[in-house]
Amino acid sequence: MNPVWIIRGRFARSALGLAIVGVAALVFMLPIITAVLWSLVDPDVGWFPPDVVPASLSLANWDHMLAIPELLESLGRSLVIAVLVTLLCTVLGLPTGFSLGRGRARYMRVIEVLVLTPLMMPGIVLAVGLGAVFIRIGLSQTVLGVVLVQTAVILPVTIRIVAATARAIPGDLLDAARNLGAGSFAVGRHVVVPLLIPGILAAALLSFIGSLEEFLLSFVVGMPKVQTLPMLLWAYLGGRSAILSYAAVVALVLLVPALVVLAVVERFLKQEYLAAGFGKA
Amino acid sequence: MTVDTAARGEAHRPAPPGLMRTQERLLTAGRRWFERSGAILLLLPGAGYIALAMAMPLLQLGLGSVGLSGSGSGSRLSLDAFRVVFADPMMRDAFLFSLRIAVVTTLLSVALAAGLAMLLMFAFPGRRAVILLAKVPLVVPSLIAAFLVLTMIGPGGMFARMAHHAGLQWPQLVHDRAGLGITLVLMWHEVPVTLLIVIAVVASIPRDLIDAARNLGADAWRVFLRILLPLAVPGVSAAAVLVFIDTFGAFAVPSLLGPAYPQALPVTMTTEFLERAHWEVASAIGLIVAVTTIAVLSLYYRLLAGTDRVIAA
Repeated sequence: MNPVWIIRGRFARSALGLAIVGVAALVFMLPIITAVLWSLVDPDVGWFPPDVVPASLSLANWDHMLAIPELLESLGRSLVIAVLVTLLCTVLGLPTGFSLGRGRARYMRVIEVLVLTPLMMPGIVLAVGLGAVFIRIGLSQTVLGVVLVQTAVILPVTIRIVAATARAIPGDLLDAARNLGAGSFAVGRHVVVPLLIPGILAAALLSFIGSLEEFLLSFVVGMPKVQTLPMLLWAYLGGRSAILSYAAVVALVLLVPALVVLAVVERFLKQEYLAAGFGKA
Repeated sequence: MTVDTAARGEAHRPAPPGLMRTQERLLTAGRRWFERSGAILLLLPGAGYIALAMAMPLLQLGLGSVGLSGSGSGSRLSLDAFRVVFADPMMRDAFLFSLRIAVVTTLLSVALAAGLAMLLMFAFPGRRAVILLAKVPLVVPSLIAAFLVLTMIGPGGMFARMAHHAGLQWPQLVHDRAGLGITLVLMWHEVPVTLLIVIAVVASIPRDLIDAARNLGADAWRVFLRILLPLAVPGVSAAAVLVFIDTFGAFAVPSLLGPAYPQALPVTMTTEFLERAHWEVASAIGLIVAVTTIAVLSLYYRLLAGTDRVIAA
């Protein structure tokens, strides 16, 4: 969106800018500084009110979290699940998204709505419903079960992004290729696929981060045997017992991939992907 | 197709006309076959998976809520689960609590996002940085937001500590009965989502329309009231519906920041399912959540059909 109005006075413009940037920085930076401080609290001294800054800092919490297997195990499991979900979503979503983007048949409207339904139903309904089904067929508390249940809510995002990309391919380009003598296969190989690749990559990236951060469905299907990183964070935030210093460590570990993805999306991808991808988290 | 054939004839060495025609016919037939059944074959993997992933849980909840999904006590058609849910004042309070959180969060998120979008319509230094910052919560999980809010405004949080030094009493904003802490964390995620949709909606309004109005002498306020606002209503209300559904079904944040009583409906539902193994009761609550969602969605489509007519008129 380009700005619509220009404020004439130079002073007024700068003042408005300064105020908004200041508030935004306060809203985002202060909590993150607090998180870092919490993760560095010296467990022997603690950080009790009314101290605004901890009396003494140490890396003891980080040492502890890296020493017990729970954090690295959860991280590894989360990464494996994220890779599997990304692959499954790409394999399932690529043909469907392409067909949805290029098709003109009347039933496409219906399919489009169907694809959106997992985003329009509260996650808790799907989580408990699928959780009960998975308990009956033995997929509960397995990595496969968590992968399948995450795919249900991430696949719509993949399909929407691929469909939007396929829709944006100009028909003239395909006609031109055919007129120049390319067969269906050649058109697909040399025109369609190269043009789809940015969309496929964007979809894969957002599926990966979506899986890494998904909590509710993984929690209902996976607990307690399959614990992912967000579930560990939930546990330390008070789901099991509130230990804020450990929660800070897990939160910061989880924050890094999120910010990396945002930087990549901002730098390399078209903005529509973010809008299509994060309609619902 | 004729242009196609001619072009291809020119581009290649001339082939025997018979072979050419057969090839062409095969290609056309192939393309037609693809257009008919190929599209359906391609749709099948993704759409089929989603259809299954939607149908199975809803069927399970439907059958489970009337005692037909046989867990332990055997299958017998009964409405006991609904009787339990409707008779229990705890369930009623949970429903109302979730509803209130959802309504308050939706109203606040839309208002804040609309205000931010309006500010972003002005050109000012640092505008791009603000847009970038506003996207941060999109990729940061709500659980991290819960941690941040807990350590900022919770008892013993940053603000409480600062207030103490200023000699002030910090109010209880987390684990409160009004669900303020929950609303704040949910807004952390919902405001940027809404903002992104509002920005996209405003960007889709033709610039010519605004310029024309201004050329005809309308001031900024009139442009906003008469052009931007009416044209933004459908998109913004869609965002509001998404926010409502998302927050009405929220589990993680209320489970961490909610009061001991009342609990949010999804929290009650998860407890019944995971800890007490009361599948029937959990299924009945799940159906109530699903029905509420569908009611809100259909109300939205009903109202939207109305606004379309108003704008056209």
